[in-house]
Amino acid sequence: MPVLHWKTAQKEYTLLFEGTPKVADLLREQGIPFPAPCGGKGTCGKCAVVLEGAVSAPNEAEKKAGCRLACQAVLLGEAWGAPLREDAPFARVEGTDYRPDTPLQGISAAIDIGTTTVALKVFGEDGSLLGEASGLNPQRVYAADVIGRIDAALKGKGEELQNAILDRMDTLLAAACQAGGIEKEDIVSFAVTGNTAMLYLLTGRSPASIATFPFRSETLFGETWELFGKPAYLPSCMNAFVGADITCALLASGMCEKEETALLCDVGTNGEIALWKDGKLYVTSTAAGPAFEGAEISRGCGYIPGAVDRLWMANGKLYAHTVGDLPAVGICGSGLLDAVACFLESEELDETGAMDGDFLPIAGDVTLTQKDVRALQLAKAAIAAGIEILLARAGVKEREIADVYLAGGFGTHLSPESAVKIGLLPRSFLGKIIPLGNAALQGACMLLGDPAPREKCNSLAASSIHVELGGSADFNDAFVEHMFF
Amino acid sequence: MILQDISLQLQAGKAKLVKELVQSAIDQGLAPEVILNDGLLAGMDVIGKKFKEGTIFVPEVLVAARAMNMGAALLKPLLVKEGIPSAGKVCIGTVKGDLHDIGKNLVKMMLESKGLEVVDLGTDVSAETFVETAIAENCKVICCSALLTTTMDVMGEVVSLAGEKGIRQQVKIMIGGAPVTEEFCKQIGADAYTEDAASAADMALAFCKA
Repeated sequence: MPVLHWKTAQKEYTLLFEGTPKVADLLREQGIPFPAPCGGKGTCGKCAVVLEGAVSAPNEAEKKAGCRLACQAVLLGEAWGAPLREDAPFARVEGTDYRPDTPLQGISAAIDIGTTTVALKVFGEDGSLLGEASGLNPQRVYAADVIGRIDAALKGKGEELQNAILDRMDTLLAAACQAGGIEKEDIVSFAVTGNTAMLYLLTGRSPASIATFPFRSETLFGETWELFGKPAYLPSCMNAFVGADITCALLASGMCEKEETALLCDVGTNGEIALWKDGKLYVTSTAAGPAFEGAEISRGCGYIPGAVDRLWMANGKLYAHTVGDLPAVGICGSGLLDAVACFLESEELDETGAMDGDFLPIAGDVTLTQKDVRALQLAKAAIAAGIEILLARAGVKEREIADVYLAGGFGTHLSPESAVKIGLLPRSFLGKIIPLGNAALQGACMLLGDPAPREKCNSLAASSIHVELGGSADFNDAFVEHMFF
Repeated sequence: MILQDISLQLQAGKAKLVKELVQSAIDQGLAPEVILNDGLLAGMDVIGKKFKEGTIFVPEVLVAARAMNMGAALLKPLLVKEGIPSAGKVCIGTVKGDLHDIGKNLVKMMLESKGLEVVDLGTDVSAETFVETAIAENCKVICCSALLTTTMDVMGEVVSLAGEKGIRQQVKIMIGGAPVTEEFCKQIGADAYTEDAASAADMALAFCKA
């Protein structure tokens, strides 16, 4: 019987097989943990492997991904294999290599101002990537959350907040330009995206209109502003809480060009959800709190070296993977999801989220406390209820959804199986999930050249239907309903 | 013992079971106020205490509260018939500009579990509505909730308006919500800030009894 010699950082396996199975199927059959977020469609690139021996020739999906994919490659006889880049298992993401396809007017930069992170890319006239950079949003020192920053701006700190973000953009641009061997002054135009509040703070507008209910934003942007003396396009926001970052993410996903019903989620401190059905776009936002970003979790952290980012059970034992294979320093959002999913599986957590004792060990001295589980329950219930009510208001059944796009860092790193196991996402979404990475930034890149995408953003934003969840009884009921596992 | 079962299942958040148990307690001929006090409220009391101690957290309280609601819904028509006297009347709402009501609803539930009669003003409630309701309904306490930093200042307006209307002696003003602090309470001159829903209910009950 032919054999696959499979080698991981932890162990070597000799796997016997019959027929001509796909690598991923064999691994799954043998109980060897392996990521397959897109459900074997060959679209996510997360199951990248190194393969030698009697295997199929790379197919279209693999050529597109630029590497062998366990979910595509077929075993024909004796072969040798290993996971590719175990230290960065989720490095490659659909769309991250996007480059503007029409000639640009000159050197141009796309910038995404996230509440937590600022990221940018600089492109040459021919659309080639010259440099990229990212760093923390310095406005964090005023307040971690959007509403806290709005409050600070209204209490006279608006100019400070604006200067802080301009300074950071300047530094990051300088770094990216240096990498590309150009000067910052060579940049002739910008596209800057972010949530509605970030654009208010960037442009120094008073955010009074988005500070309190009814949150009627006095502007939704979709206009050209001036940044560092050059024109900067600010894409359209949908409303006070669903901003230009989501408009851009939708553009990058391409889902509103398609016939199929699709959902896009950006899971962060605020969970923004967009639903596309029969040419109509429904959007909402739900406050998940910062648990997925590591805050409010006893040993929580971001996706940093040493963060536990993946956990799995094999033969009743818990295995942990850390970013960079370093000793565990904490646990990031994707690890937290896996941890709860594993402990539910092992019944160390019951369906109400209760554990015996105060904590469960994860890796090294990193543990999961009872309080961590409770914080996660609030966060996941907010997202799950948001999805449920958005679908209900739009009259869409879960199973009608063909594709589920996940934008943002956490959405890209999470394991769909764990997300479903803990009830963050409905079970019917498995196999439909497409991680997008920083979709807001990709969308902003698309706005640098051809004017058509800008029009697309404007019309999407203008036609979006906002579903308000706050203060509605059905949302509150669904929120409690989704609290347990 | 069915009342103890009701209390335990309520603590575990098993809403359907609680509803069934309450129905069978009614069918067994137990007095509605006994089912309420020794079953539902006894369970909610344990939840409130554990919440205050920090041994349980918001999710458990929310699911217990839902179980309480489902059980209490069966008892309400029976209790109204019998006319149970309340420990006092309180009005509660989320302040103007803010729609967050999960915390507010939790406090409402805890207040009711202490036998207080609660006028729920909902969300986006103006200072005028708080004060006018307190006067019209003869409330002893006004409870204001806010989750947004940007809407907290409405609480100050409630305090000043209550002063203008001359009800500051009769009506206590309590405030709470994630961004609210003891310091803020002193700053605007409200009567009390409490950290959690269970403490809020204890405080409101103390004000009503005073």
